[in-house]
Amino acid sequence: MTTGGGQGVFKVIDFRAMAEQLLPEGANYDACLNCGLCSSGCPASGLEGMDPRRFIRMAMLGMNEELSSTPWIWTCTQCKRCMYVCPMSIDVSVLVGLARGAWPEERKPRGIVRSCQAQLRFSSTSAMGVRSEDFVEIVQEIADEVRAEDPRFADLEVPIDKQGAHFFVNQNSREPAVEPEELAPLWKIFHYVGADWTYGSRGWAAENFCMFTGDDSAWREMVRQRVEMVNELRCQVWINTECGHSFYTLWKGVERFGLQANFEPASLISYYAQWIREGRLPVNADWNHRGIKFTLQDPCQLIRKSIGDPAAEDLRFVAKRLVGEENFVDMQPCRSANYCCGGGGGFLQAGMNEQRRIYGLRKFDQIQTTGAAYVLTPCHNCHTQMEDIGEYYGGHYRVVHFWTLICLSLGILGESERKYLGPDLAGVNLPGMGSARS
Amino acid sequence: MIQEARQYRTGLAVIGSGLAGFAASVFALQRGIRTAQVGNTGAIAYTTGYLDLLGWHGDRLLDNPWSGLATLRQEEPDHPLSRISDQDIRDAFFGFTQALSEMGVDYTPPGDRNLLGLTPAGTRKPTLCMPRTMVAGIAAAAAGDRTLILDIAGLDGFSARELVANAGASWPNLRSRRIIFPGVDAGVRVFPEVMARALEAPAHRQQLAGIIRSVAGDAKYIGLPAILGIHRPDRVHRDLERLTGFTLFEIPTMPPAVPGIRLREMFEQAFPARGLTLVPQQKVKSLELGKTTARLHLNDSYGKVEIEAETVILATGRFLSGGLAADRHRVRETLLGIPVSQPESRDHWYREDYFDLRGHPINRCGIRVDEAFRPISESGRPISERLFAAGILLGGQDWIRQRCGAGVAIASAYRAVSFAAGCL
Amino acid sequence: MNGIHIGECETFETEVLIIGGGVTGTGVMRDLALRGIHCLLIDRRDLNAGASGGNHGLLHSGGRYASADWETAAECRQEGEILKRVATECIEDCGGLFVAVAGDDPGFAEQFPEHCRNAGIPCQSLSRAEAREREPGLTERLIAAYRVPDATVDPFRITLENVNHAQRLTGSVYLPHTKVTAFEIESGQIRAALCQDTRTGAARRILARQVVNAGGAWSMEVAGMAGCRDVNLLYSKGTLLISNTRLSRGVINRLRPPGDGDILVPGGTISLLGTTSDTVTGLQGIRPTVAEVERNLDQGIAMLPGLATTRFIRAFSGVRPLVQAAEGIQDGRQASRGFTLFDHESQGLENFATITGGKLTTFRLMAERTGDLVASRLGNQESCKTALEPLPTGDGVRWTKPGFSARYWYQRQDPTDAVLCECEMVPQSAIDAILETAPGAEKPMELQAIGLRSRVGKGACQGAFCSLRVTSYLYDLGHYDSNEGLVRAREFVSERFRGVRPVLWGEQLPQMELAEALHCSLMGLDRLDDLASGLGSVPGVGQE
Repeated sequence: MTTGGGQGVFKVIDFRAMAEQLLPEGANYDACLNCGLCSSGCPASGLEGMDPRRFIRMAMLGMNEELSSTPWIWTCTQCKRCMYVCPMSIDVSVLVGLARGAWPEERKPRGIVRSCQAQLRFSSTSAMGVRSEDFVEIVQEIADEVRAEDPRFADLEVPIDKQGAHFFVNQNSREPAVEPEELAPLWKIFHYVGADWTYGSRGWAAENFCMFTGDDSAWREMVRQRVEMVNELRCQVWINTECGHSFYTLWKGVERFGLQANFEPASLISYYAQWIREGRLPVNADWNHRGIKFTLQDPCQLIRKSIGDPAAEDLRFVAKRLVGEENFVDMQPCRSANYCCGGGGGFLQAGMNEQRRIYGLRKFDQIQTTGAAYVLTPCHNCHTQMEDIGEYYGGHYRVVHFWTLICLSLGILGESERKYLGPDLAGVNLPGMGSARS
Repeated sequence: MIQEARQYRTGLAVIGSGLAGFAASVFALQRGIRTAQVGNTGAIAYTTGYLDLLGWHGDRLLDNPWSGLATLRQEEPDHPLSRISDQDIRDAFFGFTQALSEMGVDYTPPGDRNLLGLTPAGTRKPTLCMPRTMVAGIAAAAAGDRTLILDIAGLDGFSARELVANAGASWPNLRSRRIIFPGVDAGVRVFPEVMARALEAPAHRQQLAGIIRSVAGDAKYIGLPAILGIHRPDRVHRDLERLTGFTLFEIPTMPPAVPGIRLREMFEQAFPARGLTLVPQQKVKSLELGKTTARLHLNDSYGKVEIEAETVILATGRFLSGGLAADRHRVRETLLGIPVSQPESRDHWYREDYFDLRGHPINRCGIRVDEAFRPISESGRPISERLFAAGILLGGQDWIRQRCGAGVAIASAYRAVSFAAGCL
Repeated sequence: MNGIHIGECETFETEVLIIGGGVTGTGVMRDLALRGIHCLLIDRRDLNAGASGGNHGLLHSGGRYASADWETAAECRQEGEILKRVATECIEDCGGLFVAVAGDDPGFAEQFPEHCRNAGIPCQSLSRAEAREREPGLTERLIAAYRVPDATVDPFRITLENVNHAQRLTGSVYLPHTKVTAFEIESGQIRAALCQDTRTGAARRILARQVVNAGGAWSMEVAGMAGCRDVNLLYSKGTLLISNTRLSRGVINRLRPPGDGDILVPGGTISLLGTTSDTVTGLQGIRPTVAEVERNLDQGIAMLPGLATTRFIRAFSGVRPLVQAAEGIQDGRQASRGFTLFDHESQGLENFATITGGKLTTFRLMAERTGDLVASRLGNQESCKTALEPLPTGDGVRWTKPGFSARYWYQRQDPTDAVLCECEMVPQSAIDAILETAPGAEKPMELQAIGLRSRVGKGACQGAFCSLRVTSYLYDLGHYDSNEGLVRAREFVSERFRGVRPVLWGEQLPQMELAEALHCSLMGLDRLDDLASGLGSVPGVGQE
């Protein structure tokens, strides 16, 4: 059955029937108690006249035409917080994924679709059109600069396609495409701890917009290419860098599509924590003697949807070491119960700015309540969204990567690598200053 | 993909994250026991925030729950509360409310008499302890003082007019007023949780305080639905009292309500900080009881988790929380198939009249335990030396009619932990 | 027509008094109004309180009776065709199947097409694969399947629309909660009916030229009150189950002699499984039992195996009034489904008629026959118009259709229109429309009456949440200034519980536990009386 006319005809799917086939054991939409905890805890509630409870009820009532065409599915970031707070563990995001997949391609948000198409075009799998050969060139150029600038990194290596390297490291396209100088802090950290790592010339990109389009075959293809590259290089550990959804999309994709992955997936955050515990990254908070306050955004994709609270603990351990325990303020709620910022699930790229900012208001309030001057987050979408709502709602905080603060703390953060720091930290611990404080 | 099952070893594993599970973890931490807790959201999400011990016995509203307990011990010797001494119950409530207060939600300590907490209907609920944010309503009602109840446009199911119509007979100076919550378009649905979180930001408190001042008139007390913050509500409460100059109290609301979310989020943060291993929002799939240890198996979104524990407390609750389930014929305990005392057939689970004051037999069914709160088999022997049980999963009580759910949870958790500690 | 107070007694006057607000009584009301006649309709409870609300909403193709009762079958077919034309809003033309499964009598199945042909019912044989493609829930053990033009009808909506139309046509009046206590009879005529408001106890006297007894199962009792001994009814109690979701595309009938659990009827967004048939002697305390639910399920599972794991949210019972033509028939399933119109002239009354028996599908024809008699007695020459005149809808009468309010709300996209019942997505604006314009708008209209005229309380939570939200809304509107609203809410959820009780297992148990936590632990509805009376004596503050 279809509805609507002309271009982009909506395919009407039977949500109840589809859900019955897809559901994990023990989570049954029919078991919904209609209590509303899901909607109460969902920042997308009220957008487009919809909320998670309503979505389930409409599915149960057989309102398939409405659900097959509601734009709400692009405002739901599939963060699974509804499932987290549900006594019956009902997962609305599965239905949203179904609806996304069934939308006519030409009606789906252009930003998400184009990014996925771009990813399918080149072996780099980059959504920003960075080809493999461009990437190799950019990496070499920046590495040369680092080696020239700081004598401590004169022998810095940035391996690409190194067979048998212990770590395969992925890379969000934003850095090579837009801000290549931001690549350096990560490399410096690997160099500092003496990690045996490599990029791949193919399949290095982290982002996966194909998952957000709801197109399972495209999602599978993305993961397949990336897994193949890691398998080919015989790396033991695939490290996801500071990007949230890339972690979920890979391990979940391997599981969902039954792919053969001969490696262990890991988050860079876990390694930051491990290296700090082992003394290999001797970070401290001495640089923060003015007591600048920091908070932390737990990326849904990494915490609630993937590793859970152990990773949240690692994030806090690292953050507190970096900024000082007394300067760290948690948002409320946090860890697995944290709110999605509104940047996830492709919302940031969906062109629905008004809705996205309404969604993000809750995050903005959370950040404001902490009184923090900086938000740390290991996720590019969180990063961009929190910057945007900060600016939109008149906040005065900044958003930073972990790698920036790690290098800052170690005194190896170059002047050009401080894009996300404010004037208060622009001159702190610059290389060559020794341990002098500003 | 190469993934190792995550493994934990612990002295005590608490299964369930309702009131009983959280209470067990609290008592275990107080005893310095290495503890892991697993369980997903259950009935605690729907709590009023009141911690009742025993509100009714038979058809008697209990002013003094302790004297009610004395009667209960004679008339219902198998009631879980009949098997715990007053001193233990009192210690349990003291320990638990003190822990709550330390962790961020201030509670009144147990007293000698029941408090009559306000309900959103304007009726009253007998309870032993309550959140500090709700206390002032008791005094205001008792004195019949000038009080303004506020409700909020867009908050369904909470009507100040309704509360006043029902409570007003014994409370002459009670008035009602509807306000619009700052930042919310008039009439658009707004959940209590959303307002509570908004009020954690000082700017929103100032705006609300301004609205309250403008409508308060000659009121001495202001009653509000429970929206005064999720995290550290007492700070929100104090600050709003300071900003308005009035004594404020909260009234529970129907689900999805704030008091339960408050408790759950508080535990989820406070426990890991105190060294407890918490695996939130996951159900244990299976439990193996060995000679020297027990092994819990579960899957979270990321894969397998195994917990090896020397002792286990089962606090999985009833139907809402998944500890009990029933097909068309029998009620069963879901994790181990522990025998459940129950009526002969489904026809006897519920009485004909929904509000029959004798209560429904199904609410009294549950697992049976020995003196050490170890679940017992048909033969009356403990199923395992290291398995204990707590909470409303226990049979022989009627938490609905007797208003004793929190009492059973907290007191039995206290006893179960002390017996478990004896095995460690 | 307004009531005139004479002393303690309110007096009403009308051309035709109709007793019984079921589909038949309201059908008669509309039939007469279309002939320009003023009617006053009363019911001891409210619309569809009896069998009209306690059935599966099947608009029979006639297939069900094709094998045993040729006349009823043909009548059903004709009436079904008419209703599909004139009451389109109330009907879903979903089609139906008759299926036999392994173990059923193949001979019975084989004769089915021929029986249908005799009654003029279109019947198409389907292969097992065709049948299961159309209805994937059917068992693999099918031995025969036929397609027939069954449809479903919303009996609440059709009743409401009947009354609504009659009110508009002639200013006819509907009074709920009005019970006949006696008739004033003078020289072969009923002059007035003495009635009582069952809520307030107030007396009412209704003067009428003609009286129609459409009391359904109670019609024998009403006729008796007028001294008529000619109405002899057999009471057959039928129990059905309601599932949380819709389980089939169309109606599924078991192709065998009628029995328990032999029909599954979609009702918009849900399905109904029925129907037991047990002869009962009285009409008091009729409620569905666990045993009846089990019988329906045990039989139904053979036809539709998925029923074993289906979430049922409620059961309900109705009592079919079956006219006892022959002495000695004690089994309701063997009694005729035909209807009888008694003119009571043999009993010495000239302006009294009783219409009873029959079924939902044939209500229009029953009303037509009754209307013909009553109109001729009044000297009215107008002919019946109900077979041609479409049944108009209205703002206050369209809320009973499952899924309607959800679509309505979703399409309007008005975020300030609060959804008071989340299961069925019934918004505040629907409640407003019902309060203002639905037939039988009592002042104030209570929760039960609102529930009857909408989907409030009919979803998965069976009123657990919406009872409280709607009650709060009624308090907000100023309907109550005491605990009366809570008492009404308690009545409402108690009534819901009667139907929920026999289906409490599986997923409905957590839902029930939550409902009890809400109604008792949170709101204190179970202790309402004690708290109301005992509050003053209980000190408020313990040790702090």
